[in-house]
Amino acid sequence: MSVLSLDHVVKRFGDFTAVNDLSFSVPEGGIFGFLGGNGAGKTTSLRMALDIIRPTSGKIEVLGRAPGRENAAQVGFLPEERGLYRRMSVLDTVVYFGRLKGMASAAANKAAQGLIERFGLGPWSNQTVDKLSKGMSQKVQLATALVNAPRLLILDEPFSGLDPVNQAVLEELVLEMARGGSTVVFSTHVMQHAERLSDRLLLLSRGRKVFEGTQEESRATLPGRLVLTSRADPGALAGVASATAAGAANDGWTDWNVELNPGADAGDLLQACTTGGFALRRFETHKPSLHDVFLHLVGADQEIVK
Amino acid sequence: MSRTLLIAMREYRQIAATRGFWVMLLMIPLIIAVSQFATRLIAPQGNVAYVLVDATGQYAPAIQHRLEVTYQRQVLGDLAAYAQKWKVGSAAPGAVWASGPRWFSDADAEAFIAQGGLPAALRQIAPRLPAEATPFKPSEPRDYISVDPPAGVPIDQGPDAFGAAMAAPLQGDVMTSVGKRPLSVAIYIPKDFGASADPVHIWNNGRSSGLIDTVRGELTGRLRLQALQASGLSPDAFARIEGLNAPIAVAAPPAGKGRAQVIVRSLVPLAMVYLLLITVMVTGALMLQGVIEERSNKLMESVLACVRPSELMQGKLLGIGGVGLTTVLFWAGCAVAAAFSTHGVAADFLKPSLMALDHPWIWAAMIFYFLAGYLVISMIYLAIGSMSDSMQDAQAYLMPVVMIIMLPTVLMMAASAQNPNGVLPQVLSWIPIYTPFAMLARLGSGVSPIEILGTGALLVVFIVVELTLLGRLFQASLLRTGQPMKLGDMVRLVRQPEAG
Repeated sequence: MSVLSLDHVVKRFGDFTAVNDLSFSVPEGGIFGFLGGNGAGKTTSLRMALDIIRPTSGKIEVLGRAPGRENAAQVGFLPEERGLYRRMSVLDTVVYFGRLKGMASAAANKAAQGLIERFGLGPWSNQTVDKLSKGMSQKVQLATALVNAPRLLILDEPFSGLDPVNQAVLEELVLEMARGGSTVVFSTHVMQHAERLSDRLLLLSRGRKVFEGTQEESRATLPGRLVLTSRADPGALAGVASATAAGAANDGWTDWNVELNPGADAGDLLQACTTGGFALRRFETHKPSLHDVFLHLVGADQEIVK
Repeated sequence: MSRTLLIAMREYRQIAATRGFWVMLLMIPLIIAVSQFATRLIAPQGNVAYVLVDATGQYAPAIQHRLEVTYQRQVLGDLAAYAQKWKVGSAAPGAVWASGPRWFSDADAEAFIAQGGLPAALRQIAPRLPAEATPFKPSEPRDYISVDPPAGVPIDQGPDAFGAAMAAPLQGDVMTSVGKRPLSVAIYIPKDFGASADPVHIWNNGRSSGLIDTVRGELTGRLRLQALQASGLSPDAFARIEGLNAPIAVAAPPAGKGRAQVIVRSLVPLAMVYLLLITVMVTGALMLQGVIEERSNKLMESVLACVRPSELMQGKLLGIGGVGLTTVLFWAGCAVAAAFSTHGVAADFLKPSLMALDHPWIWAAMIFYFLAGYLVISMIYLAIGSMSDSMQDAQAYLMPVVMIIMLPTVLMMAASAQNPNGVLPQVLSWIPIYTPFAMLARLGSGVSPIEILGTGALLVVFIVVELTLLGRLFQASLLRTGQPMKLGDMVRLVRQPEAG
């Protein structure tokens, strides 16, 4: 079952098209990464999913329904730009958002206290938010997103502004939520986070979808690359698109950077070398990173972080 | 609990936690308390005691009678108003108090005393009083209470001995028929007063000018009459001269409820206009800060993921309305308490004004206009807050808005103090943004029900349109960032419900 789907969605702000004919579907369970540079349409898409803004055209479904606050009880949301009521206490803040999501007072209190303890904020529970450090405030904000134990957790650039320690804490939390059965949708322009967390990916560029699928499927969009050390030029072998000598020959052996034809498999090439008597001293396949995939699909002009 | 109510409660708590709110809330009671305190410090106390020694034995009864007549005139006025309020004048059609409040002469007071005074009047009234009637109480106590000279004070050894002995008692209180009171005046009329140049001696601690005037007036009158008699005036002529009074025609206030209308017009509704202006400006500014905080703290997106913009707007308006209502109720409570449990300048004004509001529809209309005015202005503040990233941004929008609201309102208040049904108050009554202020100012002056219904209906329509249009602006502005909005942008957003 799909927990979030967009069908030919378009969002225009005046003459500017922020999201252009976007269609994708997020299956229930697992972690879904929303990748794209600045201005790719990630935040706009997530805001439309939450009914904060309405699409110009197209159809959106969240948990089988149209977007709306009726879904708030089952949805958690951490926006990119974060803030809290400065003069509200930590506990009151988390409880307030729980209540806004339809929780009963007692349940919201219990869940809030549990999360506050879990995030190590127990001693500050009754302190007002303006007395907390930035890291603590971000934990409080995260608690407001999680207080209703959401079935769908939407995180917009969740790692921005966090130090490496808290980034690791948040990554673990995201994995834990997914293991607990929640579906996590997060947007990022940092490829490492997406690579470590995402089961499935959506790549956006200038409001358009350029890829949707698993990480493996994304890598398959790149031509295979490998490094060979051979006496002969491998350029003529079946499946090889190009072969470039990486340096001068050494005792008759030369290193080659080889790029395969689209769809060609490195295993088939190795088999062909073996059966055809093509002498090899090295056969090293190169697994492309998500960053490579992104650059390949989107281009180098988009602002992303490796 | 609905999300709107949750938001309203949060807004209420947030505003109630600010210093500005408490300063505003306590300001009016503080002013009342200071006025009461100042009154007690500066003004004489309600009543004081005096000692009168008349060595001639001729003048004391006349002076005491004069004081009694003065006091009974005041009681008669209060009683006439009381009889009119509870519609019991028919209990004694011939009684001097039965025809309602007016200017009463000494002769009226003498007649009142002759008819048995207050005890007799109350006996006549009692069977006809409605069940909800409050007991009659004179608005002021007797000003001067006569007491005997303190023990040990010589009254037959001349004024010097009397004055020396009275010096100490005049510094303190003495027991009177109504409890302990300050001993304020000692008067000594020497034995050959009138026959020689010996003056009347008065020792006064400075709080009894009314008593001294009465003594001087009464004694002067007596001396003149004695002089006239000595010059050969016949007893008949003397009696005619003594009974002469300058003819004065005193008219009652204009039609309607007379005195009550005038009092209401002059104080309570105008006070409501001031209260509306103060509360809406202060709490509006506090709400504005709240919205700006939500925007500048990047809170909006989190909140809007849980609630609709319309719920957010309604919650904020409800919360701010609650703050306004709390403020007004608190102030009204303080005013009532001050009016009916204390004495002083504030009580002198408040008590008759509040008592004059004896029609439920006046209260209903006042509350309607007050809350409607609150809503109209609060919504403007809310829209400004939604368009501003900082108080500095907000000031750019606020300045013209405040001027547009304040200037005509202040002019109208000044005009309505002179004539509540003048051109300016009447015109502004039909311009919805000013309707609450103008109608509040005019309510006590006999505005017709048609006008109340007409302006009320127009105001309701205006509020619906305002909430719809500014609601669109609010919704579209919440997540907007960048340059401050221009007028053209606002018009475009107001005209396009789904913009943004």
